[in-house]
Amino acid sequence: MNAETPALAVTGLSVAYGAMVAVHDATFALAPGEACALTGPNGNGKSSILMGLAGLVRRRAGDVRIFGTRAPNGDVRWAARHGLTLVPERRQLYPGLSAADNIVLGCYSWTSSLSRARRSAPFGLALDLFPEIGPHLRQPAGTLSGGQQQMVAIMRGLASDPKILAVDEPCLGLAEAVSRRVYDALARIGEAGTTLIVVEEAPKRALAICARRVEVRNGVATGASAS
Amino acid sequence: MKFGQLVIAGLVTGSIYAVFAVCVSVWYRVSNILNLAVGDFAMLGALGVDDLVRVRNWPLPAAIATTLVVVAVFGYLYDRVVLTLATEGRSAQEGIVVTFFFTFALSFFIDGVAKILFGTDVHAAPALWSGRSLSLLSGLRVERAGVLVLACAVICGSMFWLYIRYTLGGKAMEASGENPLGARIVGIDTQSYRRIIFTGTAVLAAVFGIIESPITGYTYLSGATISLTGFIAAAYGGFRQPGRALVAGLVIGITEALLGGYVSAEYGDTVLYAILAALVLAWPRGLGFEPAVGG
Repeated sequence: MNAETPALAVTGLSVAYGAMVAVHDATFALAPGEACALTGPNGNGKSSILMGLAGLVRRRAGDVRIFGTRAPNGDVRWAARHGLTLVPERRQLYPGLSAADNIVLGCYSWTSSLSRARRSAPFGLALDLFPEIGPHLRQPAGTLSGGQQQMVAIMRGLASDPKILAVDEPCLGLAEAVSRRVYDALARIGEAGTTLIVVEEAPKRALAICARRVEVRNGVATGASAS
Repeated sequence: MKFGQLVIAGLVTGSIYAVFAVCVSVWYRVSNILNLAVGDFAMLGALGVDDLVRVRNWPLPAAIATTLVVVAVFGYLYDRVVLTLATEGRSAQEGIVVTFFFTFALSFFIDGVAKILFGTDVHAAPALWSGRSLSLLSGLRVERAGVLVLACAVICGSMFWLYIRYTLGGKAMEASGENPLGARIVGIDTQSYRRIIFTGTAVLAAVFGIIESPITGYTYLSGATISLTGFIAAAYGGFRQPGRALVAGLVIGITEALLGGYVSAEYGDTVLYAILAALVLAWPRGLGFEPAVGG
C-alpha cells in the first residue's frame, strides 16, 4: 500500500442481471478529494457501476475498497456507514415525508438521534447548499418540482456526511438553469474535499467540475488509469 | 340516555377496531403485506391467559407475561422464517399475492391450534380492573374494562404518533414504507423494521385481546371477526394511512353499536356491512380507496 490509500479502489468489478452482463471487469481508483465523471451512452453500465459500488446490486465479481477497507458484497448499509453515499437515479425520495424529513434522514447513516441530526454540521451544510429549498422544507417531497426534488436528493446525500458522493444523472430532465445550480453545488461539495463520482450522459457539464473521466461503453470502463 | 350508552359501547369496540386497523396499515406501509392474522393474536392473548390462570392456576401476572412472550417469539419466528422465504426473490406485485395467502394461512393455523388448546367454549381473560361499572355524568355507565381499552388505545396511539413525529427511527420507519429502495440507500435496515412491527403488532393485539375479552368473551374463532373489521377500517385508509384507518375504526364501532341498539341486534352487522359497501361504491376516492395493490 502506498503513502496515500485511495478513497475508492475498484478492481475487476462485474455486475450482471441474470445472463445480461452490465459491467465487465471495471478497474479504477480515486484519490481522496478527486472528482471523476463516468461518461458514455445510456444503457452501457454507468449506473450499474454506481449500484455495484453502493451495494444496491450484488457484484458478480471484483472488489470494492473504501479507504482501504473491502466492502461486503450487496450491503448498502455498510457503504452508507463507511462514507460512500449514493444520490440515485430518479432520486428515490420519500414522497409523503416533508423535504426537511427527507434531508434529515440522510443523517441516519451516522446517528439515530433526531435532535443530534438536526444540530449537526452535515445537516447544516446540506441546508446551506440550496437556500432556495428553505421555504419548501415543510412541503411533502412528492409535491416539489423535479429540480427541487433533485436538490433535496443531493441535500440528503450531503447530510450523510459522505467521504465519497456518487451522483447518478443529476440533471436528467431538468431545465438548463436548474442543471447549472446543481453542478455549482456539486462543485462546491468537491471543493470542500469530498470525493465525487458523477454519472453523466452529456460529459460536457460533468467535465467542467471533474478532472478525471472514465468512459463506459458496452459495460467496459476505459481511461481508468490516472490522468 | 340510551344513545349515550350506545355511543360509549361503540367507542370501546370502535377503539379496538381502530387499533387493529392501525396495526394492519402501519405494517402494510412498511412491508407491503396485509396481515390477516392480527385478530388471531388478540384471541391467542385472551384465551392463552385464561387457560393459564383458570386451568393451570398460574398467577395472573406470570400468565400475561408468558402469553405475551410466546406471541412475540412466535410472531418473530413466523416473520423471520416463513414471510422472509415467501417474499425473497419476488417482485412486489407477486409478493403481495403470495404473502396474502401466508398471513391468511397463519390465521387458520392459529385458529386450529387454539381450538385444540383451548376448546370451543367462550372464555375471557380475568378482568384486570374488576368491580362494578363506573358511572359517568347523568347516569351513563361504562365498564371498567372499556375504560382500560380506551386508555390503552389512546396511550399506544399517542406513543406511536410521538415516535413517528419526533424520532429519527420513526421517520426511518415511515421512509421504509414510502420508498424501501430510498430507505436502504441512507442505511435504513428495512427488513428489521418489518420484523419489529410484525412482532410489535402481534404483541399489541394480544394485549388488547387480554384487556377487552372480559367485555365480549372470546372463542377460538373470534380473531377472524376482529381481523376482518380492522381490515375493512384499514381499507378505508387505502391501507397506507393509519390516521384514516383509526377514524374509520371508531366510526364503524359506533355505527355498529347504534345499529345494534336502534335497528336490530341480530342484523346490525349485516346492515353495517351493507352501508360500508354502499359507501365504497358511491364514493371510492373520497374514502381514500387508492389502488392498494396496484400502486
